Order: sequence, then C-alpha cells, then structure tokens
Amino acid sequence: MIQLLNTTLIGLTSGAIYALMAMAIVLVWRSTRVINFAQAGLALASTYIGYEALQLFNNYWIALVCAMFAGAAISAFIEIAFMRVLLKHTSSGPIASVAPIIATLGLLGIVKALITMYWGGQDAVIKPPLSNTGFSIGTNTLVFSPMKLAIIGSVAVLVIVFSIIFQKTNIGLALRASAYAPEIARLAGVRVDFVRTLGWALSGASGAVAGLLLTSNGNGSFSPESLEFSLLLISGFIAAVIGGLDSLVGAVIGGIFLGLVTSFVLMYVSGSLFFIAPFVILLLVLFIRPQGIIGVKAGRRA
Amino acid sequence: MLLGVAIYFLSGAVDELRVYQGATVAVYVVGIASIILLTGYSGQVSLGQGALLGVGGYAAALLRIELNAPIWLCFSIAILTAALAGALLGLAAARLSGPYLAGTTLALAVGLPSIANQFGFLGGEQGLLFDVGFPPLSFGEDFTQYKWFFWIASLATLIAIFWLQNVMRSRYGRSWKAVRGNDVAAELAGINLTRNKTLAFTLSAGLAGLSGALLAMTIGTVSPSAFPLALSFSLLTGAVLSGVTTLGGVMIGAVILVAVPDIAEAVASRFGSSEAVTNNLPGLLVSTLLILTVLFVPNGPVEQMRARREHRVNNKPS
Repeated sequence: MIQLLNTTLIGLTSGAIYALMAMAIVLVWRSTRVINFAQAGLALASTYIGYEALQLFNNYWIALVCAMFAGAAISAFIEIAFMRVLLKHTSSGPIASVAPIIATLGLLGIVKALITMYWGGQDAVIKPPLSNTGFSIGTNTLVFSPMKLAIIGSVAVLVIVFSIIFQKTNIGLALRASAYAPEIARLAGVRVDFVRTLGWALSGASGAVAGLLLTSNGNGSFSPESLEFSLLLISGFIAAVIGGLDSLVGAVIGGIFLGLVTSFVLMYVSGSLFFIAPFVILLLVLFIRPQGIIGVKAGRRA
Repeated sequence: MLLGVAIYFLSGAVDELRVYQGATVAVYVVGIASIILLTGYSGQVSLGQGALLGVGGYAAALLRIELNAPIWLCFSIAILTAALAGALLGLAAARLSGPYLAGTTLALAVGLPSIANQFGFLGGEQGLLFDVGFPPLSFGEDFTQYKWFFWIASLATLIAIFWLQNVMRSRYGRSWKAVRGNDVAAELAGINLTRNKTLAFTLSAGLAGLSGALLAMTIGTVSPSAFPLALSFSLLTGAVLSGVTTLGGVMIGAVILVAVPDIAEAVASRFGSSEAVTNNLPGLLVSTLLILTVLFVPNGPVEQMRARREHRVNNKPS
C-alpha cells in the first residue's frame, strides 16, 4: 500500500516536470511547426543561469524566476536571429522537411559546446531549498518530500498562468489564432512574426523551469554531459506526442501520464528499464493512436 | 582500382596517426552513406543511426569472441543483424513522418545503448573486445596494425559505396526519389510506400551495421560509450555537410568530421586558450558548420556546384 502511494507520488512529480517540457515543445510546434531539439540545451543553459543567480541572490525562488526569464530571452533570440531566416531559406527543395530538425540539432551542439566551455569541468550543485526527506504517515516514511510537493506546486502555478494567458488575454487569442491559421490571422491584423517569437519565449520559460526543477528533483548536481537533460527532452517529446503535439492541455496530461507509467514500470517490472521504457511507450502510442491520446486530428501519418 | 592503388601508396607514405585517421574516415564514409541513403533518397530522418552502428558492432564482436569467426564473416553478420533491426524499425518508421520519426529514433539512440548493461554477455559498461587479429605476415615486417585496419576499412568502404551507387541507379533508387519528391503522387503511380520506406531503412541499417563493425575494429572494443548520442549527431552532420541528396560528396563530410578536431586543436594552441575551450571547440565548429550549411547550401556543396554549372550552361548566349 505504502509502495503504491510512493510510486504514484514519484510518478506525479516527474510527470509534472515532463509536462513542462512537453508544453515547451508544444508551444514551439504550434508557433513554427518545428520540433525544437535544442530545447535540451536551452534548459541546460537556463539551469546554469539559475545556478549563477542562486550564487548571487542566495534565494532559490528568485533564481527560478531568473532562469525562467533567461530561458525566454534565449529562446526568443534564437527565433528572431535564426529560425526566421532558416524557414525562409529552406521552404522548398528536397530537404525542406528535414532542414529544421537538423538545424535545431546544430543549435543544440552550439549551445552545449558554449556551456561546456564556460561552465564545464566541474559539476555544479543547486542545493534544493526544501528538505528532500519524505513526509511520514504514522511510522511509515514516504518518498514524497516537501521539495517534491514544491515542484508539483510550481508546475501547477505555471500551468495555471499559461492557461490564463492563453484563454483570457488578447495575446493568448493572437497566439491561438496564428497557430490555427497564420495567413488569416495576419489578415485580421495579428502580428504573426511577433506572436511566433512570443510562443518561443513562453516555450523557453517553460523549458527553463523544467530544467531547474529536474535538478532539484534529483540530488541537485548537474553537468553539461548529464544524460538527464537528453532524457528530459525525450520524455517531453513523448508526452507531447501522447497529448497530440498540438494541445497544451494534452501536453500536461501526457506528461503526467508518462510520469506515472514510467514510475510504475520501474517499480513493478524492472528498475533497469529506465532508458528503454519511454521508447517502448512512445512506440505503443504511435502504433495504437498516432494522433495522440487527446488529439483528434488525423494526418500525421506518412 | 585506381583508388585502391592510390590508397596503397598513401598508406605507405603517411605516418601512423594519419593512417588511423584514414581508417576513421572510411568508417564515417559508410555511416554517412547510410544516412544519405535514408534521408536524401527516401526522405526519412534518423537521429538514431548510432544505435544501429552499435547493433552492428556488437554483432561482430560477439561472433568474434564466441565462435572466433573469420573477419569477413563477422562483418557480414554485422550487416545482416543491423539490417534486421533496421527492418523492424523501418516497419514502424514507415508509418511516421518528419518530427515523429526524428523523435522516435532519438529515443532509440538514448535507450538502446543501455541494453548492453542489461545482459551479462554484452559486457556491460566495459563492453567487449573486438580484435581482428594481426595483419598476415606476407605483407612484410613494417605493415602495422593500423595500416591493416585501414586496408580492411577502405576495402569494405569501396565495396559498400560501389554497391550503393548501383542500388541508387536501380528501380528502387528511382522509386525512392519519386517518394521523396512527392509521396502522394508516387503512391498513385503504383509505388508501395510502406515497402519502399522499409526497404530503404533496412538497407541503410545494413550499411550502418558495417560502419559500426568497422568502428569497433578501429577502436578495438565495443561498449555503450562507443556509440553515444553524439555519434548519431555527427553522422547526420557529416551527411548534411556532404549534401544529403547525392553520394558524390560523401568524402567531404567524413574528412571534415575527422579533420575538425585537429584544426581546432591547432587554432586553440595558437591562441593559447584554456583546456575547456580546446575540448569543446570541435563541437562548436562542427555545429556552426552544420547550421551554415543548412542556411546557405542546404543541398550540399556538390549539388550546389552542379546547379551553378547547369545554370551557367543554360544561360549561355547561343
């Protein structure tokens, strides 16, 4: 019983982080129809900036906000300086469909190389602001700790803020309109280019928070080579696919679903399936419902 | 044949390190060719080619250790095993397009190496030794180990590229091009999309398996860390630098991938930069090159030159 509860809570926590990453991927996909594989590098960069901010202000939550804004700024910069040019250059020709994917991989390489040049060599540690020892019920100690609760809380706050932006503000309306029909949105007076950049910025913010919370969910240490960030990217991608790649709600549900499933597989099947389980889940989803569990649109088959 | 003679003289004339790098170039040529076949000719993206290289490498090493099979047999089985894995993957891949396929293969590249830690006979983190043996004594005293690697790798590469060129000119090559151009039109013209894509994936995986076995030979071992995510990315980078739509430039990407670390080291030592910069300069240079290529010569240098030449010919005043 206590094990079941533990597994569920662990799954929820990591699922919340996956959900953020999935939101980052969905936001970029909606605004430019590109899967941004550089998101892993951006999350890493933002986490390092959060680390520097932590040294400076000595307050975790200020650092988190700093990382968020840094992530937004970097991501917006990449969109303006790079993706815009790229998409204009390679809108046709044999590798039109491949070019954006390859380009974001190139970006990932550049970001990673720069990070390693600047911060490489030693492992950075972000001390979790809250205790990582679990709550106790009676005599039993849960794995679930105040830090994990704070992680879920932060994700919830961010998701609520995002959904308010999307559902209640004019900017959100513009974002939805230009994702749905860019040409018509342009005719209706929406500045589609600006809105695209905004989509990337929101995505960068979401990814940054995911990166920082990911390190806090573990022991707080991270390095440019850590595989966790690649895994975070893949989990985010899988969660986004589960959610149908086009829907923010789907991304959140997909993330939590993926977190729970992975956690249960690791606990009840085999703990060594850590790397291969997400892949199997992805294949299953793609075979059974290629349009995503939530999504309704067809047309992502070849 | 001419190329073979040139290789013979080259391998005699240059020092050990260059011979080793030559072998690495051959490994990359096969790996890049496998991506060109997949991406350039059938329009599918694989970010997990490194995993298929791993399959080939492990197959070859296992056969060598368990049965002490001759090298050529090891390589053939490596090709077959990887092709089989590719066929399975291709069946799944044919249903996916663009970003979905990219994400799936990426997940594979991260997940597959960890399998090696699951089963004892795969050697875990240390991996397995893969020893192709000493060169035959009849080649003479000064015929070194690396030269032997280089010879094997070059021969395998030449055969592979020759075979690939023929495949590209065959019926299959033409139908791949049709699918890449417009898959709906190709299907209407009677091309079976699923079968075509799966076949492309299978053949490409076979090449990747060969490349993996060659790589295992040059470094002497197979281990999860020999086939990292970075390997998949470098191969893709090499393919883009060579131009994904033609085989003609396949050497360019391979040479760049091998030469850039050397160049970076030379540059870094001239400016006396720190170790952190030196170690990461190659990655930075390669990624920058990749992005510049995608931006300015998206079809690769060879295709670009051909287009320019055709342009000039067409515009000649008559």
